[in-house]
Amino acid sequence: MESNNALSAELKKVTQELASHKIELYQTRSYLQCILQNATDLIFATDTEDAVVSLSKGGEKVLGYSWEQIVGWPIKDFVEEPASFEHLMKTCQEEGSAVGLDVPFRHKDGKTVFCNISLLTLSNREGQRVGSVGICQDITDWKKLQENLIRVDRLAEIGRLAAGVAHEINNPLAVINEVSGWVGEVIGDATGLSPKDRQEIEVAVTKIGGQTKRCRTITHKLLDFARDSAPTRSEFDIVDLLKETINFLNPEVKYTSIKIDLDSAERHLLVNSDKRLLEQVFVNFITNAIHAVLERGEDTGHIHITTVKNNSDVEIRFQDDGVGIPTEVQSKIFDLFYTTKPPGKGTGLGLAISKNIVKKLGGHIILESQVGVGTTFTVRIPIA
Amino acid sequence: MNEQPNIRVLLVDDEENLVEYLSKRLLKLGFTVKATFSGEEAIAAAREQHYDVAVVDLKMPGIDGVETQKKLRQIQPYIQCIVLTGHGSIESALESGQEDAFQYLLKPVDYDNLLANMKEAYRKKVELQRQDFSKQVESIQRAGLGAHGMRKAIKELREIYGIE
Repeated sequence: MESNNALSAELKKVTQELASHKIELYQTRSYLQCILQNATDLIFATDTEDAVVSLSKGGEKVLGYSWEQIVGWPIKDFVEEPASFEHLMKTCQEEGSAVGLDVPFRHKDGKTVFCNISLLTLSNREGQRVGSVGICQDITDWKKLQENLIRVDRLAEIGRLAAGVAHEINNPLAVINEVSGWVGEVIGDATGLSPKDRQEIEVAVTKIGGQTKRCRTITHKLLDFARDSAPTRSEFDIVDLLKETINFLNPEVKYTSIKIDLDSAERHLLVNSDKRLLEQVFVNFITNAIHAVLERGEDTGHIHITTVKNNSDVEIRFQDDGVGIPTEVQSKIFDLFYTTKPPGKGTGLGLAISKNIVKKLGGHIILESQVGVGTTFTVRIPIA
Repeated sequence: MNEQPNIRVLLVDDEENLVEYLSKRLLKLGFTVKATFSGEEAIAAAREQHYDVAVVDLKMPGIDGVETQKKLRQIQPYIQCIVLTGHGSIESALESGQEDAFQYLLKPVDYDNLLANMKEAYRKKVELQRQDFSKQVESIQRAGLGAHGMRKAIKELREIYGIE
């Protein structure tokens, strides 16, 4: 009887212990669940075969798949470089943990997601490996920001360097300019030259002059680009400015059947901005549009310019039905010195300068383009 | 070429080749040209003789273009300076050159544009000079000096204004 009592007490004690363990277990589980539900990082657990058994909510976002879609699949299927990832998993198995930086995962929609990943081996009480846990931090945005910073920095450096070179070149260029001008004058007065020789030399001198002008355009544009003075603002009518610019460029399309038209909802649209800088931007976009249309090689072409007033912004759209810009090139066209035009036609400065100017005026440029359909550049600047 | 007024030009640039050929071209057009290759030389030249227009390079070793301009105007208050710069922008030139130049031009300068500016500068100089000169002549006359005193005063004026 006594032993019965003792047994019963023991049983009660064990039951109580079990219950409290159960509670503890429950709490730990909900704690983990909470982490998995709320973590923005990609946290996964795999079995011994490296197949996913659990995934955090953040992981669903990082990879674009739901938990159900991923469970059971080998984790390496979601990585862009499976071989190096497997190597990382192997290191983790051998050493108990592993760290990988910049590991490229593949999102459901095809884009690459870069993660810093920390892998740990999961073992049971007997010390046997039952799987792995990985905690991955999405660093894609950070990487992009860093790349942009590097690019901006590089661009500024190129700008400074180019301005220095441009300045140094301007002096010898000035000399060439004067010497060729002098030769031209000497030829004009010279006697005893055969008409053929005279013509030959005159043409050559004209060419030297022309090419000097070409260099001059480049160096001056570069110096403009590198200059970082604040814009001088004044109030002016942007519709008028567009009309003037179109008139100015009319000779370029005079002997083609390209039509440039301006469509403005308002007859007058006053803005407070830098007129000279904006004119430069407009000339550049319209010139590019003309070239894009000419390049298509058909007889007719259409450049459609529209202005839209939009609360505190003005939008100026330059739409052409030219050749269009291939997707892979679109990210490069604003880079300094990037050009698709033949030598002598493009300096690779126009769009870089335009972007810089529009940014300075507190606006931005939007590009939409499709090969064979055309291109639309939209300049959006604040009214005041 | 015959309608060309006899403009007296002082060229100042350490780029000797540029000065040489620019001088030749201007001489051929009938300008009176003095070629100098530094600010110091130009200032010395201005002390010797009157000029209507100075074409000054902004960046020179020694006395730079801004300083040269300032000194030239101290010596000859009516001289008009055209500043050539291969550097940065016209704005930056303006910022550095407090001394009001007649015009800033970017190198390599378009020859016709330079000529047009020189003629314009010359007209401005002559105009300013005439205004002040006649005012001062009047005041000399009003001062009631004798013939000898008046001749002397006007001779002094002529020297200041560089009128021969």
